[in-house]
Amino acid sequence: MNLTIKQQLSTPGGILKFLIKHNTIVIFVLLMIFSALISDVFFTQTNLSNLLKQVSGIGIISIGMLIVILTGGIDLSVGSLVALLAVTFALLINLVILPAAILLTIVMGFALGSVSGYLVAYQKMAPFVATLALMTIARGLGFIYAKGSPVTFETAGGAFMSDFANNATLGVPNIAIIFFIIVAMASVMLKYNVFGRLVIAMGSNEEASRLSGIKVNKYKFLVYAISGSLAAVAAIITASRTNLGSPNMGVSWELDAIAAVVIGGASLNGGKGTAINTLMGVLILGLIGNILNLLNVPSYPQQVVKGGIIILAVLFQKFEGKKQ
Amino acid sequence: MGNSESEYRLEMTGITKSFGVVSVLEGVNLKVKHGEIHALLGENGAGKSTLVKILSGVHQKDSGKVVLNGKEINPKNTHYGQLLGISVVYQELSLVNDLSVAENIYLHKLGASKFWMNWKKITKDAQELINSLGFEIDASAIVRDLSIVQKQVVEIAKALSEDTKVLILDEPTTVFDPNDAKKLFANLERLKKGGMSIIYISHHLEEIFKIADTITVLKDGVDTGCVPKEDIDKDGVIRLMIGRELEDLFPVRDVVVSEKPVFEVKGLSGDDGFVKDVSFAVRAGEVLGIAGLGGSGRTEMAKLIFGADKKKSGTLTLNGKVITTKNPVEAVNQQIGFVSEDRKEEGVFLPLSIRKNISITSFKTISSKLGFINDEKEYNNVQNLIAKLNIKTPSSEIDVKNLSGGNQQKVALAKWLSIDSKLIIIDEPTRGVDVGAKVEIYNLINEVAKKGVAVVVISSDMPEIMGIADRILVMHKGSIFGELPKDKFSEENILRYSIGEELKN
Repeated sequence: MNLTIKQQLSTPGGILKFLIKHNTIVIFVLLMIFSALISDVFFTQTNLSNLLKQVSGIGIISIGMLIVILTGGIDLSVGSLVALLAVTFALLINLVILPAAILLTIVMGFALGSVSGYLVAYQKMAPFVATLALMTIARGLGFIYAKGSPVTFETAGGAFMSDFANNATLGVPNIAIIFFIIVAMASVMLKYNVFGRLVIAMGSNEEASRLSGIKVNKYKFLVYAISGSLAAVAAIITASRTNLGSPNMGVSWELDAIAAVVIGGASLNGGKGTAINTLMGVLILGLIGNILNLLNVPSYPQQVVKGGIIILAVLFQKFEGKKQ
Repeated sequence: MGNSESEYRLEMTGITKSFGVVSVLEGVNLKVKHGEIHALLGENGAGKSTLVKILSGVHQKDSGKVVLNGKEINPKNTHYGQLLGISVVYQELSLVNDLSVAENIYLHKLGASKFWMNWKKITKDAQELINSLGFEIDASAIVRDLSIVQKQVVEIAKALSEDTKVLILDEPTTVFDPNDAKKLFANLERLKKGGMSIIYISHHLEEIFKIADTITVLKDGVDTGCVPKEDIDKDGVIRLMIGRELEDLFPVRDVVVSEKPVFEVKGLSGDDGFVKDVSFAVRAGEVLGIAGLGGSGRTEMAKLIFGADKKKSGTLTLNGKVITTKNPVEAVNQQIGFVSEDRKEEGVFLPLSIRKNISITSFKTISSKLGFINDEKEYNNVQNLIAKLNIKTPSSEIDVKNLSGGNQQKVALAKWLSIDSKLIIIDEPTRGVDVGAKVEIYNLINEVAKKGVAVVVISSDMPEIMGIADRILVMHKGSIFGELPKDKFSEENILRYSIGEELKN
């Protein structure tokens, strides 16, 4: 387990084992090569940068989803939260100065996530049910506040955000940078911080965690609050990209996020999964959409392919489990 | 072979079975006659249950031969076993709580019946069956509402609802009071006279000598032969079961127990009213044993002290200070440790590494204020404990699921030693642990106690608790029924207190 990559590769059958263990990365690389081979446009800066912009919003909520899933829970509300919070952000940006609008939106995301967290941790509600309820409520509230139609940015602050969201730094889209920073932070927290250790411990055995003196309820509450906060960040960048907040945003994003986490090798039973692999899951899903678009495949067959990829990824992981 | 006039109804010869690398049965023979009560004895982990499960089709043997009524059989699942007339009453009750008594008794037949169920007939038949056993239980009652004794009776009735040729009872009387046990024995006599072959598993030697005709003792996966009851006495059976002198197993208790209590509990009662008014003290250096039957409230009491279940009343004093343990978090902050009897579900994190398992209690000392874990501190702490507890593993990064039961148990213990616990409650310290690791765990308990840690050991294993404890409290129906000082230790005394009887003088 402590072997270096080199050592792993030099053991008998080591290369195969290594490839199986890091299957998400392998799939990602293969898809990249495949895409580059069949399309001339794929490796252009415009295409890659579009691809990154497209996945950043879902990517950010996928990280929140991963943290929730690590505890053995699930958060179905994030897609609707993106809609409600995008509308909120658009309304706020027209009312208060930009930093306040950003801060208030994130605080509201935290508060909305806390509702799920409270119901799951302290009222012992099933995560599926609690977040399903919040999903419906948030979508409804989004439409109510937006009065049924999108809210456009009308201030200088709005223009600044729109600029920021559509530009790039050193060739990397700004919103993708935010996504990568969040992945890096999550990765560090999960690997080196007590918080991450406890989240994984809870997911692998909640009762043993409780009997080890861990404040299980507190951490359960927190993961949903974090997921809500990340939904707020996703909402801000998504609204900024289009210069408006719409209650129709984020439809079924929660499912894409779950798919990305699962493709990234996380177990829905909790206790297993990493931020880097979830990043790979997000990119794989994005790549498939991208390459199918480049090949002019219509959107319905795209859905079929995506579903197939999810099944394949999970079967692959089962194979990995057996090998070990 | 086709000769059904053989003396034996059931002949199991040379049965072997291993789970992974653990070999449980290494060539066991068991021969049971028609109309015989055959006692199957052995220490915990000797392989009794595995042997029975092979017979009933839960497990498949690796090699060996099972002959029933002169025909070789090879039960692949429990349904097949039932068809052959083999019925088992397991130790762990296998009833469906939400169904009625009658539905439970005929559960295995429900699927096989025609489309419609005749509930009236089923309930009537079940009632007759229970009445014939001499117990009073309403066949239409929901199993959840029954007492544990009644559940056990339903379990037995279920086993008899078939055309049973071979009845296997796995410790059926642990929950029974002497009166119920007597009723059961009368039933077994009756069934035996009717020609049934009964395999009776029990730790209770007096029972065995009362009802069994023949005795087979299993020891570390091998049988020590089949002995008629007349040819052996209790001591002989014990010698066969243990196969060595008891003293070898347990460390010498050379600790000077101080008079001053380290931990004291007064008037502890649980919120659900089962554990009532428990008071005791543990002195520095002392290993306090808690004995009692399964369901007597030992684990429940431990969980109350640890704050895992809700208390109604009770005062806890640790090192002279009154403490509260409203939840495990508070208990751990007070440096109280609890090793659960259910290692896999409550004790360890199977998919996580040894390092992560041990560190789970110790973040206060191995991480910074912001919660970042200091790798070096963590590594050193874990390595120390692995060495100290002699956990057999190539590295601290091995997942706990890959360790043997004994090493898993050491990991479960290590996390409490990691925070220098002042009180450690260990529930069934060696359940599912092989003999070698047992000795190591006993030594460890001994050493921990020597350092002045108050150690409470809960155990159903009587030789074990007598071997390691300085004093034994026996629980009965949620309260402490009696206390045994070392010079009063005996299986009989523990049992008497366990069933709520005073000692004989």
